[in-house]
Amino acid sequence: MAINTEKLGYILQNFVSTTSDVQGAAIVTPDGLPLASNLPGGMDEERVSAMSAAMLSLGERIGQELARGAIDRLYVEGNEGISILTSCGQDAVFLVLAGKAAKQGVLMLEIKRALSDLKHTLF
Amino acid sequence: MRLMRLVVTGTAGAGKSTFVRTVSDIEAIDTDRTATDETAQIKQKTTVAFDFGRLSFGPRLEIHIYGTPGQSRFNFMWDILIQRANAYVLLVAAHRIDELVKARQIIAFMNERVQIPMVIGLTHRDCPGARSPEEIAMRLGYTDLSNLPTIVTVNPNEKNSVLETLNVMLMSYLMSQLAPDLNTVPARQNFGQEEYRPRVQIVR
Repeated sequence: MAINTEKLGYILQNFVSTTSDVQGAAIVTPDGLPLASNLPGGMDEERVSAMSAAMLSLGERIGQELARGAIDRLYVEGNEGISILTSCGQDAVFLVLAGKAAKQGVLMLEIKRALSDLKHTLF
Repeated sequence: MRLMRLVVTGTAGAGKSTFVRTVSDIEAIDTDRTATDETAQIKQKTTVAFDFGRLSFGPRLEIHIYGTPGQSRFNFMWDILIQRANAYVLLVAAHRIDELVKARQIIAFMNERVQIPMVIGLTHRDCPGARSPEEIAMRLGYTDLSNLPTIVTVNPNEKNSVLETLNVMLMSYLMSQLAPDLNTVPARQNFGQEEYRPRVQIVR
């Protein structure tokens, strides 16, 4: 069955616009190609996708080599905001960009919800 | 113990990950993921961050080798890796001449950022359709003999062949330290291996 990219885009758009302080989101393949995205202006979808894939693969390597087990998510926290990477099944990586004011608890719950929608659409 | 950082770059499917894996003393670290782009036609998996290998080169030198991803969408990794490198090798699959444009872009990318010794490693020379080193050098934009980098033939699956290439890179590096104006190793006729070509001569 073909992937419904329109629906993926819709889920991301919905996620970004309804979750407070979320500025962007993307779903990409593990080798760094975009599937769907809703990103702040000026961010290049291709580049964001490649970076997400590189980061998650390194994170998973660290989990493996440094005996941290299977990786649930990766955070990159800066003074302007936070990026969160989660794997979305075998064939996709989910990236979320949030502002520094974002409430982490809410964010995690919303990510979990979005993930289940995305997985449902992908597989 | 002196530490050297070498970078292996080149287009997808040139043999970078194999190169690192073959020569590493430790089990090489890879970041392979299933390829879903045009790379999938060549191979199943592709590097998305970097490969890392380490080897001792005699008692006083330790070499860290970093393999880059091949696709240009990962050029932020090229940048990160090349910034701290002492020298790099550009692997070029001699039988995929359509990829040479991309290889040329990698050279330009690196040249914009660093001035470090560079060696060109030709792989897949035993494959049907493989072009001559002269032709490849031309297509990579080296029409002028005076600034031609050293070109070697390398089989990334053979440890000796990879070691030879590292040797040439080390030589290039040492030469650059001794004579910073020269960015190539002087031509040598014989390096002990038949397929080894220390330098391509272009006849005009």
